[in-house]
Amino acid sequence: MKATAALFRNEFRLLLRNPAVVIWTILIPTAAIVVMCLIPGARQPLPNFGGLSVIEAYQPTLIVFAATMLALQMMPMFIGQYRELGFLRRLQTTPTHPRDLLAAILALVLVISLVVGLVLLTFPLLFGVGVAGRLALQSLLLILVAASFLAVGSMLAAVIPNPRVASGVGAAVAAIMWFFAGMWFPRALFPGWLATISDWTPGGAAASVLGGAAAGQTIGAQPLLALGLWTLVGFVIATRSFRWV
Amino acid sequence: MTLITVQGLRKSYGACEVLHGIDLTVAEGEIVGILGPNGAGKTTTVECIGGLRMPDAGMIRVAGIDPTTKDSELRQILGMQLQQCHLPPKITPGEALDLFAAFYPDPRSATELLELLGLTSQADQRFEKLSGGQQQRLSIALALVGRPQVAILDELTTGLDPAARRDIWTYLQGLAGEGMTIVLVTHSMEEASYLCDRVYIVDDGRIVATGTPDELATSPGSQTVTFVPSAPIDPADLLRLPGITSAAVDHERVTVLGNAAAPQTVLAALIARGITANQLRVTGPTLDDAYLRLTQEN
Repeated sequence: MKATAALFRNEFRLLLRNPAVVIWTILIPTAAIVVMCLIPGARQPLPNFGGLSVIEAYQPTLIVFAATMLALQMMPMFIGQYRELGFLRRLQTTPTHPRDLLAAILALVLVISLVVGLVLLTFPLLFGVGVAGRLALQSLLLILVAASFLAVGSMLAAVIPNPRVASGVGAAVAAIMWFFAGMWFPRALFPGWLATISDWTPGGAAASVLGGAAAGQTIGAQPLLALGLWTLVGFVIATRSFRWV
Repeated sequence: MTLITVQGLRKSYGACEVLHGIDLTVAEGEIVGILGPNGAGKTTTVECIGGLRMPDAGMIRVAGIDPTTKDSELRQILGMQLQQCHLPPKITPGEALDLFAAFYPDPRSATELLELLGLTSQADQRFEKLSGGQQQRLSIALALVGRPQVAILDELTTGLDPAARRDIWTYLQGLAGEGMTIVLVTHSMEEASYLCDRVYIVDDGRIVATGTPDELATSPGSQTVTFVPSAPIDPADLLRLPGITSAAVDHERVTVLGNAAAPQTVLAALIARGITANQLRVTGPTLDDAYLRLTQEN
């Protein structure tokens, strides 16, 4: 327990020394929501967003952006670097198994994704945007969303040994997730076949459940199933194929 | 008491067998060196002992523990310094020692280790900014932080300056005096002679010799006597003396090789002939010579 806590603290400290992580996963999403909240027009409900404001419409996309940057692009790189440096092997010579380090990294990424997600959800409440009563459901969904990206990131870290390749593939997968989450093109305008594909990707399913929860709609079983399946499959593949050296 | 026993250790990488049956023992509190040319199988041997590689055949026991099956028990008593290992670039020596200290029930003090290994002023510098020698000293500190009963150190002081090497050797001798057992992989004959109670010379996956550094060094044919005789002398006369293995003259200087009694024999023969030996030099055998002879025989 002492060892796991020490690993977690250490990883947290090292992560904060990494400007890319701080900028892309914490500062930019937070700054985006703060700036939007300061623009009065963005706070107004719009009929063509189904009664949601611009902020609420973009919240799921921002959450997906922050979570994927960390879990898909950066985490596989960190893990790959630890493998390449021989740090995982070094830990193998101590009473602490390198899997404890991976657990600490996963826990840390999950915690940061959740904290950033909660900031993105609660900050607009100060400006009267969003419904505080929906926050509990949104937080639960946030955990599932973050877990599914973490699982996909772990799978990339396991199957791609080279940290630079893993990071590149992670960036490409993240960009695809942003697309399915509607970052560049509103999901409402996807043709039927694309919407179906999108709903079965972690990015699309995440945007679907988070958007639905914000609008007070009932969450369908399909996107929850998609997120659950990605989480399960990702972690199973990751644990089965992970290379320690 | 024997702490480490290795019998018939074999290991292949693919079709290539790198260890063809290694046998060795290490007693408690002993410092044992494993010497040998690159690719001889030294690192593979210690990595099998340390449970990082699975042997294909053979028996290994470390304090009664089988490294192939009781990994978690082994980790409690074993500290390892690996040849190729880097820490995260942005960690500092102080943080790394605190982190590793958290893995063990009764760790050594980080401050004490930093001081003993001359890293106190680098305690807050990032790993990536440390020199190669500083990184290596930190790696030694991390292997020792858990107060291991056995330490395996691979390439202990390669690349360290002479003063730092002496400090580390003295420190390790102190720890061995307190009962810590040390297995050392090294290329340095100086290190082996200074530090090791016993050495194993490994070549091509086999143990080719074992003994104390002195025993190995003083094997036959390695005493050298050279002098400039006051009057010409026939090397063939010297070669007929007991215990002399070779004799040659080069620019008036005579060089004779022989056993431990050779210097005395040669001098007696010279006195009997009324010849004085000028610029006399007797060179004791070194571990270097023994090592080269043993590893080139194969």
